[in-house]
Amino acid sequence: MILTLLRMEFAKIWRLSSVRFGLALLVVFPLLWAYAPGIFEVYGFFLVSGFQVPALSLLSSMQFLLPLLVAISAAELLGTEIANGTLPTILLRPVTRPNWLAAKLIVIAIYPFIMLLVFLLASLAAGIPFGFAGFFGGTGLGEAGLLGQGMLTPGQAFGELLRGYLLAALALIPIGMLALLFTVVFMNAAGGALATLASLIFMQLLVVFPAIEPFLLTTQLNAYAAPGGETAWVVALIALYGALFAALAVVLFERKDF
Amino acid sequence: MATPAIASDALTKSYGNRTVVDDFTFRVNPGEVYALVGPNGAGKTTVIRLVAGLAFPTSGQVSILGKDPHQHPAVRRELGAVVEAPAAFYPYLSGRANLRLHADLAGGVEPGRIDEVLRLMELDDAGERKVGVYSLGMRQRLGVAAAILTRPKVLMLDEPASGMDPLSLHLVHSVLRKAAGEGTAVLLSTHHLDEVVAYCTRVAILEEGVLIDEVNLFDRRERFRVRVTDTSRGLHALEAQPEAVTHATIRGGELVFIPRTNEDLGAVSSILAAAGVGVLEMNRDIFDLRAYYRERVSAERARRTGVAPATDVSGYGGQA
Repeated sequence: MILTLLRMEFAKIWRLSSVRFGLALLVVFPLLWAYAPGIFEVYGFFLVSGFQVPALSLLSSMQFLLPLLVAISAAELLGTEIANGTLPTILLRPVTRPNWLAAKLIVIAIYPFIMLLVFLLASLAAGIPFGFAGFFGGTGLGEAGLLGQGMLTPGQAFGELLRGYLLAALALIPIGMLALLFTVVFMNAAGGALATLASLIFMQLLVVFPAIEPFLLTTQLNAYAAPGGETAWVVALIALYGALFAALAVVLFERKDF
Repeated sequence: MATPAIASDALTKSYGNRTVVDDFTFRVNPGEVYALVGPNGAGKTTVIRLVAGLAFPTSGQVSILGKDPHQHPAVRRELGAVVEAPAAFYPYLSGRANLRLHADLAGGVEPGRIDEVLRLMELDDAGERKVGVYSLGMRQRLGVAAAILTRPKVLMLDEPASGMDPLSLHLVHSVLRKAAGEGTAVLLSTHHLDEVVAYCTRVAILEEGVLIDEVNLFDRRERFRVRVTDTSRGLHALEAQPEAVTHATIRGGELVFIPRTNEDLGAVSSILAAAGVGVLEMNRDIFDLRAYYRERVSAERARRTGVAPATDVSGYGGQA
């Protein structure tokens, strides 16, 4: 049954307007960095390798654009069922509510990986004019930033990008879960997405409390730049947030009247 | 006693201080067509959603084929329902693809059944079209097609007549009647009292979430009125013959009775004559559900508010 539900949910997510728009935007977005004429004047650096474009794409979108896209798509995945009236219709079939929501949660957890894979490929494509040979400098996702620590081979550069993008996708999962949780609470997509964004903005303001800053969900959005030694801790914290939001969503959904 | 297909006991649903279904108890047996009627906001849709397991009762119990649908989701394999008006489907999928999706979720739908229900609901030509371009009536028919897809033992339909033209409505009626004839229990909510009289066996009248009356339409259809020389003696005589008459009462100065069979109808005159009661006129009692409904709802409102009805609602003039 869960496989049938997963198949259905994957078929649905590609039909969401927010997903189509988001993926199209992520394909175009890296071109801004690759061909921006004033990048040196504004940021004080210029690109020396195609491997640097993905880092710039990620650095400039991870704090707002990517969480926004994930939150809206997650909220829309449930919100359209509510708006179309298909939610009660499907729940009349011998499907348990936790199973049905679990299928959505799994798809929402996988979606950031697909999204960032598209983003990475689009960024690499945008970086073609700069070439992909070894270069002196950094990708921007390693510990030495764009300046680097000497010569970087293509393999090392790609490895840094892959690690950074994987961690970034991981950090976006709890945001999708949070959006689904709020959509369950408010029973509409707009309410779910807005509440998620409001929560993230509020959480970003909590950096004024240095003691809790390392534990904030918004802090984990920088996970892609986490030093190697902190990776396990960051992943554990992200997993905890994701599991908590998902569990709350299932518990609330179980008790909802339709 | 056989397990009813649908049952509720003291079913109550409240939202905050507002009770939308209050202490509602009813049974629907296999092969019955049971209608819920009442004004807007009477609680009909809530009852259907509670029974279907989509909403949780504040107190009381519901069961489908003897099982609580919340605790035994598998019992929904035996349930077909349309709970949205118009019936809700994925607009970007074709009618056939929507039914395929329902079949996958329900499981055990035999090959060819989708074609069969599309044909039955006269949607075979529209099966490949996206539901987004369907008319209201087509969506409702597709809803009924999805509901009967698994050959369920229980059918529930909320406002099946909504948005339907007379031909579509006739089609849906005949499908529901056929399902009931094959032993399926049918529960529907409607505002169309003609629809109810046409093929329902029992009807529950709800007002403000309270069951104010349950009418057995089967009995009502077979009821007769007799004007006699002495109603009290006539009633006594008929009540003494339970093998010929199942029910007898006095209403509007006339004797009203239900014969056990059509043959027993002739025996009634003899019974009355033997008791020394002269028969002046005998008519089939045509039950006016519309007038009866108006009277019962108005009376209930008057009872609740203490204000007599402003308009004349004495069209029926009798009691249940």
